[in-house]
Amino acid sequence: MNRRTTLLGAAEILAWWAALALLWLVFISAVDALELVVGTSAALVGAFAAWGTRRAVSGW
Amino acid sequence: MNGWTVAATAALAVGVGATVWGVATGPLRRRVVAQNLSTSLACPALLLLSEGYDRPSYVDLALLLALLGPVGTLVFARLLVEDLAADPPRTWGLTYAVAAFGAAVVIAVCVAAGPSRALVKLLVVGALLIGGNLTASRALSGGFAGSRRG
Amino acid sequence: MDDPLIVVALLLVAGSATAAVAVRDPARQALVLAVLGTVLAVLFTVLQAPDVALSQLAVGSALTPLLIMLSVRKVRRPKRREETER
Repeated sequence: MNRRTTLLGAAEILAWWAALALLWLVFISAVDALELVVGTSAALVGAFAAWGTRRAVSGW
Repeated sequence: MNGWTVAATAALAVGVGATVWGVATGPLRRRVVAQNLSTSLACPALLLLSEGYDRPSYVDLALLLALLGPVGTLVFARLLVEDLAADPPRTWGLTYAVAAFGAAVVIAVCVAAGPSRALVKLLVVGALLIGGNLTASRALSGGFAGSRRG
Repeated sequence: MDDPLIVVALLLVAGSATAAVAVRDPARQALVLAVLGTVLAVLFTVLQAPDVALSQLAVGSALTPLLIMLSVRKVRRPKRREETER
């Protein structure tokens, strides 16, 4: 079932990325190109961290 | 001194002043609750100050305090488990009153901000503040018994 | 211009610092120091230094109580083990 688990993992990382990027967009004061780039990269890193944390805790 | 700073002065003098007295005197269960409520009262005071000084960047201070205040209380709840188990704090009325005050301040500041991204940021801060306050109070009264390891 | 606010913040800092000295038991002192950290952050905000207040919140609300409580726990444990072994 390797393909299904990778698909579920990718979908979860995408969901985390969207949520964290939205949170970044709400928190910053002025929206310009640099902020968008930094925000999406930071949200991507955070999405991987959150996915790993959820797999480690596995209680959600 | 506008209305916002007057409200912040009142919240600090009465609320945080009472918690400073409560954390210095009395049994352990009162001190722990006072430490918990000091952060839950200082956060709305910081929101009022950000509105009173007309500097939206001060909301970041309230955001950080709403995140780290409950973390500090959870540290005490975890590391003082044996001392608190014999005499757990039971002050839910006070906790709900402080949470209601926080909600009122968040609503007032949101109304002043108007529909914008700043409004959503204030709502996130309010949710973290009230959620953190209730979670930390529940942990203090021994509600998370599964995490205790004698 | 905002003198009453600064006076209130200074009084709170003075009160909690005096309480931190007056309380003798280390665990209770850690509680007072956590409140002192929060009140200091409010003082820095009132004096228009929000970046200092940000650093103070980061250090004083979670890190300092954690360090003190871990040391207190480390010092307490051998004493308790001695009592149970006798």
